[in-house]
Amino acid sequence: MPRYAMVIDLQRCVGCSACSISCRSENNVPDGIYWSNKITETSGTFPNVRYHYIPTLCNHCENAPCVRGCPTGAMHKLENGITMHNPKKCIGCKYCEFNCPYGVIYFNWTYPHKSWKNNEKVLEGTASPKEEVAKVGGKTIPYYNPEREDTLAGIRPKGVVEKCTFCDHLVKRGKLPRCVDACPADARIFGDMNDPNSKVRQLLGKFRPFRLREQLGTDPHVYYIRDFNPANYQPSKGGF
Amino acid sequence: MNQSKASNGLFFTWLGLLSIAILIGLFAAFKLLTEGHHLFNANDVLIWSLPLGAYIYLALTSSGLTLLAAIPLVFGIKRYEPIAKRLIFLSIAALLGGFISIGLELGNVFHMVYIIFSPNLSSPIWWMGAIYGLELIVLIFKFQRIHAGDWTSTTSKTLGKISFLCALIAPLMIGSVFGLTESRVTYFGPVMSIYCLFMAILSGSALCLFYNLVHAQVTGNGISDEKDSLFRELTRIFTGALSAVIILTLIKFFIEGSTVIPEVLNYHKYAQAFGSVAGMNTEVILGLFLPFILISMPGLRYNQSTRIFTSALVLLGTLAMHMEILLAGQSRPVGPKAEQFPDVISYFPSIWEWIVFMLSIAVMLLLFSLGERFLKLESKPA
Repeated sequence: MPRYAMVIDLQRCVGCSACSISCRSENNVPDGIYWSNKITETSGTFPNVRYHYIPTLCNHCENAPCVRGCPTGAMHKLENGITMHNPKKCIGCKYCEFNCPYGVIYFNWTYPHKSWKNNEKVLEGTASPKEEVAKVGGKTIPYYNPEREDTLAGIRPKGVVEKCTFCDHLVKRGKLPRCVDACPADARIFGDMNDPNSKVRQLLGKFRPFRLREQLGTDPHVYYIRDFNPANYQPSKGGF
Repeated sequence: MNQSKASNGLFFTWLGLLSIAILIGLFAAFKLLTEGHHLFNANDVLIWSLPLGAYIYLALTSSGLTLLAAIPLVFGIKRYEPIAKRLIFLSIAALLGGFISIGLELGNVFHMVYIIFSPNLSSPIWWMGAIYGLELIVLIFKFQRIHAGDWTSTTSKTLGKISFLCALIAPLMIGSVFGLTESRVTYFGPVMSIYCLFMAILSGSALCLFYNLVHAQVTGNGISDEKDSLFRELTRIFTGALSAVIILTLIKFFIEGSTVIPEVLNYHKYAQAFGSVAGMNTEVILGLFLPFILISMPGLRYNQSTRIFTSALVLLGTLAMHMEILLAGQSRPVGPKAEQFPDVISYFPSIWEWIVFMLSIAVMLLLFSLGERFLKLESKPA
């Protein structure tokens, strides 16, 4: 049985957000919810200043606190290591969201994609969001991806949580997660940790990876390697 | 006769007010079920708000009342028997109020059936729900036995013992819901369970004292010598619980004050939502220290007004302390949520959260009132 993991090469990542945009389209993610996100930080003071960009997603932890805490087993592990959610069993207690050390689980506080029910036209002569929805049958949203329904509700209802699933519906058909496929810089590498010849295993052997909040013992399966840093400085021993 | 008519008038006015509050609450419940929880001032950082704080408060108070009821019903201390039936009833009412609050906090209460059909035994929330659910059922059966005059049968005694065990374990489970979260070290681990147990005894004994003393005043029945002696003992239990919670609060205060763990330093910065005096939280001063000082003064200790005032302060203070701990631990975004949300989340309950809180309290008070009127809560074994 494979054990899926992702390596994110921070030297290749240009921070273009193609991963986030493609994720939203693939998984019909509503406004305000981010399955694929990023942490940005600025360090130092001008002119000695630096900007850090770390793409984030569900870490599919081996010892997932969200899975351990879920009272109904709605949040569960698949045999291939993917942390999966079943909205039909979710009572909306939000304990997984409370318990997640990585801030990657979101709650549907209201009806998803609510803006598409709006009947107001932005400009005279254009169609309102509601009319656009009517053109595609009225049940979903104009850019709805029905493939998502293979393993999860295509659009998750109000009152339950949702998060990244490593695009399990694509993975089970032998395809890469959408964010990996869409990355123009090949900064995301996906594969089987149990296969010694997989690219992820090769990269983890070649570079020294780090993971987010490793000290918690959650054993995340998203690894970060390298860093992009074009800065240079004159050799110096410092001094007073 | 006139006095009885006036008393009836007051009673039905009171019931009318509670009914209005409950009707407004039911409307809020309908809105939450149909529109979703965006009606709350909660978000993906500050996930749990006033309704959850109210649940913790009422559930722990219910546990405290059941633990007190165990003194006569499990440990056989007969002088406590005159308040046993009332304690069981108050505990049921408080727990039902708490369940209403958490039921309306859940995103999809109709999926609760999976708590039974798909249990996750590693989840502290599952254990909390299961034990409180069992406690409620056992308490209702226990009350039914007592009401039928059966105080001593094996069944009745067994129900008393099970309810005692549930009331002992359930607060530990509430504490572990917080204490076991990897992502939030500020909920200070296993100490949280012990803290919740003592908070349960404190708010339970405060409600017991407050309710019985106010009841004696409102009904004008006065307090017999037998009951006066009993309330003095309850006052000592109340003072003991106050001391224990003060010690735990000081331990927490000193740990937070001396640690250099960044999360705890950040937490401490925002852990004073109700303000502070000389670095100490206002609700701790008014809800713990002031009542302790008043109740420790020999001249005031057994004064009826002092006891009513101090127990009322503790009842308000414990609610504020639960809210403080709940909110402060969620005040800062975790990970990438800092991209969407401010560094620190400010919070004031929305009108819908206040209504859910009001509904829980109104249902509890309605049950208190109906129980007092129709269920002979002062009866004791023949």
